[in-house]
Amino acid sequence: MRKRWLELSVGLMIVAGVSALIALALQVSGGNMSRNTQNYAITALFENAAGLGPKAKVTMAGVTVGEVVAVGIDPNALMAQVQMEIYGQVDYLSIDTSASILTSGLLGEKYVGLTVGAEDDVLVDGDVIEDTQSALVLEELIGQFLLNFGDNT
Amino acid sequence: MMLEGIIDIRNISFYRGDRAVFKNLNCTIAAGKITAIMGPSGSGKTTLLRLIGGQLKPSQGQVNLFGQDIALLSRKQLNHLRSRMGVLFQSGALFTDLSVFENVAFPLREHLNLSSEDLYNRVLLKLEAVGLRGARGLMPAQLSGGMARRVALARAVAIEPELILYDEPFAGQDPIAMAVLQRLIKHLNTQMRLTSVLVSHDIAEACAISDQVILLGEGRVLAQGSPAELQASDDPAVKQFIHGEADGVIPFHFAAPPLQEELKGLNHD
Amino acid sequence: MINFIADLGAVAVGKLVRIGEALLMLLQALVVRPKVSSFSRLIQQLYVVGVQSLIIMLVSALFIGMVLGLQGYTLLSAYGSEQAVGQMVALTLVRELSPVVAALLFAGRAGSALTAEIGLMKATEQLASLEMFGIDPLHRIVAPRFWAGMISLPLLVAIFSLVGIYGGHLVAVDWLGVYSGSYWGNMQQAVDFNEDVLNGMIKAFVFAFLISWTALYQGYSCTPTSQGISAATTRTVVYSSLAILGFDFILTALMFGGTV
Repeated sequence: MRKRWLELSVGLMIVAGVSALIALALQVSGGNMSRNTQNYAITALFENAAGLGPKAKVTMAGVTVGEVVAVGIDPNALMAQVQMEIYGQVDYLSIDTSASILTSGLLGEKYVGLTVGAEDDVLVDGDVIEDTQSALVLEELIGQFLLNFGDNT
Repeated sequence: MMLEGIIDIRNISFYRGDRAVFKNLNCTIAAGKITAIMGPSGSGKTTLLRLIGGQLKPSQGQVNLFGQDIALLSRKQLNHLRSRMGVLFQSGALFTDLSVFENVAFPLREHLNLSSEDLYNRVLLKLEAVGLRGARGLMPAQLSGGMARRVALARAVAIEPELILYDEPFAGQDPIAMAVLQRLIKHLNTQMRLTSVLVSHDIAEACAISDQVILLGEGRVLAQGSPAELQASDDPAVKQFIHGEADGVIPFHFAAPPLQEELKGLNHD
Repeated sequence: MINFIADLGAVAVGKLVRIGEALLMLLQALVVRPKVSSFSRLIQQLYVVGVQSLIIMLVSALFIGMVLGLQGYTLLSAYGSEQAVGQMVALTLVRELSPVVAALLFAGRAGSALTAEIGLMKATEQLASLEMFGIDPLHRIVAPRFWAGMISLPLLVAIFSLVGIYGGHLVAVDWLGVYSGSYWGNMQQAVDFNEDVLNGMIKAFVFAFLISWTALYQGYSCTPTSQGISAATTRTVVYSSLAILGFDFILTALMFGGTV
């Protein structure tokens, strides 16, 4: 009798633990477990990539389609080079897609937003996005505002 | 079959740190008899028992058990040898999470391949021999000290060994329990044709049932012989122990300077 | 002065010797062919070590989750970002608090119990009895308890995280009015299974190993008197706790140090 309860409770604990792990996987982490299959890499050059770092989201129409892998300098173009990994299923980014660095929410997390263009051909592994919009830097904004303000008075 | 059950201890020395517990100790334990190992506290009685059981290894010398030097045995061989002997520990050492029945059944399950019917009957018989067949469903925590010891005894003899070692079986027992244990030890030794070695300092009880007494002291054997021989001995060390004298070869006072020098308020400068 | 340094050296060497002994004990206990009979001993120990720790884990997780929800809400509302409280609670728990707090509680509850139990078995000569019956106490007593610890703690950590997150939900959504959808939605965006949940579980396994090993060694090697057992139990809790916190830092630096 006592043995029955013992085995039962151990079984319950194991079931509870494993279900907790599954729940954590699905409910808590959104279940993005395997992103390795057939993802491809594209690069974009920006004048200013301030605040963008690895693991930042790459979105299109607000939906995450990839992530930033690395941010470095392109020595030839002397611009910021952002390497991104795009999910394999996302195979409809036209070659004239534009990329902008945007700010998410008030806490200022930077991410890359893609806007698809009109061309038929799509971006494949190794392609470079040329049409880019840099990050907004606060000082430049203030400078611009003051300039406009100065013009109007 | 029983004639080989001798323990032969040759020239053993055993050190605990820097202290020599034994130095060139020699003794033989005869088969089929009850031998008592006695001596004052700290003389190494329990250590000797552990050396015999193979739990400790001597720094020098040989401990021969059933004709084999136990220091040379592999783990497997030692375990096999241990299945031929039973040990009764001072505290009984029953397994606290097993019932009385399961405790006695334990060595049977481990060493023998009995049918569950045979096992059941064996356990009952052993418990009957120690008078505790009715207590088989109890847990060790529910037993008195004396009862626990008797169950441990039943467990020690369960696989019918050739040799039994008792570590202070009479210590702290009430007179009835002592009488019961005495009777059991004697009875089992005769009935099962065992060799029994008991370590004790209850002189009267041990001498009453032993055939041989080995008196240890100062790291060696002080005297060896039948209880009657030791009682009649002239050796001062033997006399002090056997007759329970407070002062003698082993002094009453711990080493200290003279009393006059230590008392305060007296001018002795 | 020289004496002091010599003593220090002796202490250090002594500690190394102890660690070596502990390692030998562990190896001897674990290197064995598993038998069918040892499975039932494992189940028994899983009950003692795991199931009996459930209550303290559940209650602690609930309260910690609730406090995180409360504190998180208070801090984030200063920036108008209350909606992020879900991801804050989840990340804090999954990455750090669940493995560490659950491990500390486990060390105190199960670890000390293991040490005391084995120490008492040593003091009442039960371990010596087993040896005299030709049974290796390391295989029979120590090994099942070790595996029970290795299996239980990770399971308990997973449960801890989940209960904590629900605790946070209780406070943030039901009490303070955060929108339930944001609580879960933001969380799902921010928590990555491989990065966060799995790393937390790796920590749990490391801590389980440290606690089980320490508890069992301390019990097995203690002085078999009541003072000795009490000292050993204290050592288990202290050493386990220090090891948990130390390894937590190392693991966190390894796992999360690269990214910002």
